[in-house]
Amino acid sequence: MIGAQWALLRREFWEHRAIIVAPVVLVGIVVLASITGQVAVSAFNQAVDLAILGASNLGERERAAAISAITIAISTLFLIEMAVLTTFYLLDTLYTERKDKSILFWRSLPVTDAETVLSKLLTAAIAIPAVTFAAIAITHLLVLGIAGVWVSGRGADAMYLIWQAAPLASNWLATLVLCLALPLWFLPFAGWFLFVSAWTKRSPFLVAILPLIVLPMLERILLGSTLFRDAIFVRSVKIPLFSADAGDGLVFGDADDFRIAGDADVTLLSFIDLSKFLGDPGLWTGLVVGGLFVAAAVYVRRYRDDS
Amino acid sequence: MTSLVSARNVGKSFGAVRAVDDVSFDIERGRITGLIGPNGAGKTTLLKAILGLTECDGTLSVLGLDPFRQRRELMQNICFIADVAVLPRWIRVAQLLDFTESVHPRFSRKRAESLLGETRIPRNARVRELSKGMITQLHLSIITAVDAQLLVLDEPTLGLDIIFRKEFYANLLSDYFDEQRTILVTTHQVEEIENLLTHVMFINDGRLVLDAAMDELPERYVELLTAGEKAERARGLRPIHEREVFGKKIMTFEGVAREHLRELGELRTPAVADLFVAKVKGTTA
Repeated sequence: MIGAQWALLRREFWEHRAIIVAPVVLVGIVVLASITGQVAVSAFNQAVDLAILGASNLGERERAAAISAITIAISTLFLIEMAVLTTFYLLDTLYTERKDKSILFWRSLPVTDAETVLSKLLTAAIAIPAVTFAAIAITHLLVLGIAGVWVSGRGADAMYLIWQAAPLASNWLATLVLCLALPLWFLPFAGWFLFVSAWTKRSPFLVAILPLIVLPMLERILLGSTLFRDAIFVRSVKIPLFSADAGDGLVFGDADDFRIAGDADVTLLSFIDLSKFLGDPGLWTGLVVGGLFVAAAVYVRRYRDDS
Repeated sequence: MTSLVSARNVGKSFGAVRAVDDVSFDIERGRITGLIGPNGAGKTTLLKAILGLTECDGTLSVLGLDPFRQRRELMQNICFIADVAVLPRWIRVAQLLDFTESVHPRFSRKRAESLLGETRIPRNARVRELSKGMITQLHLSIITAVDAQLLVLDEPTLGLDIIFRKEFYANLLSDYFDEQRTILVTTHQVEEIENLLTHVMFINDGRLVLDAAMDELPERYVELLTAGEKAERARGLRPIHEREVFGKKIMTFEGVAREHLRELGELRTPAVADLFVAKVKGTTA
């Protein structure tokens, strides 16, 4: 069982090379940008960039906060890439095998449909996040390394200014938590995408996305209620993973509300409230809904006879 | 003799269409059975039911298993080639071997490597880079390297040229087949596999119209070449089918002793393809 699952996961990496290629390309872009001095931390109120770091006029806490801001911005970029990659992966994975008829080969092997679909879910929920996390950590090291070289080049002490100031371990821990928790929170979407991928006869992207937009509208017009709107849009922005201090939701995007500026001691980890996340009923109902969609995907793959 | 496949009143409907209708048969170990039928006769549906890819009514047992509910166990002992184009196009030959090795307990990597060694298929090529014939060779090599009891082939040589087709069946016999193994094959090119078969089944409109050993065919069926007045007399013996070639009548008889026909013209055993036409046209008329 475990051996087969391992082989199935490996197969996903062979087939969907974007799982590796996309983060690697992004690492390249970020590193290139940082080399050319383009990593401006625009999320920061006072536009901190490497030049300010190098000038080292900032106090120790501000410097740590600035480095955190850079690492958080990088993490965010990769998390967005992960979301896009995972969406397309899930929509493609059970659709293409039917389109090119290779499903007949896969099903000629002693592997159950449940095992196969599980491997695709694990790829989305664990393997892709793991690769994303590794890419983030490598990028952090590379970017800080480049900043270090830059600072050293100006005769300053990079070890002191950059490496000792960077709360890397805590940022990485926080990033790892994000990488693993976000897929759980978005499991209903992942399950829905897998189901559409197994079920639709054509254009899985449209078939998956249109109902997400149309259903809330129809519900609002016909019933006046907001169940679907809450389940789709509110859920997408209000993630109970972040402590109340950070506002109710993702703060990355909103420059004016970015709290690090006010309290330089804050790291990414301090924003994360795992007990709130695990205690949120939305997480658990989401897992149930996602699980039902995954079960439906298994059912369709097993019972549907396309010919 | 043990029945490898046993079907009792097997049926399958798609809406109002009865694709397979009340079919019963047994396939015993060591046979090579040809399942012959026109397009849409229910061949593929029947094979899918045997392979556990689709649910069906009635009782179907393959290697003593319920194919639909115990598909995983079943697939350890069954191999099938459904179509020449089903190998995933993105996969590399070596990856295909790695994957099959890790999920199939009865797959011998060594054997597959040695079979592939006889072909010109490069290990690091992707399937999409191979020709249709090579893809079939690759698929057959993998399947032959699995120690399976039953091999199911659904139009395995469709779209291949004659050289590859001949080679395919030659390899099948030399590398795969022995007394412990059983093959079930469907094809349109009946003539090409006629000499391979030990048994033949005809299916038409979802029903089994013939299920016989090849050895029995000469006893049960005879073809008569005749003309003129003799043809009139022969017609009285109720041929199941009649056709005309170069002014001569060719009549197919079922269950009529050869002695009765000998004086009426030239006798021979019908080819499977001709017998098929006779049976199918006979039953639909």
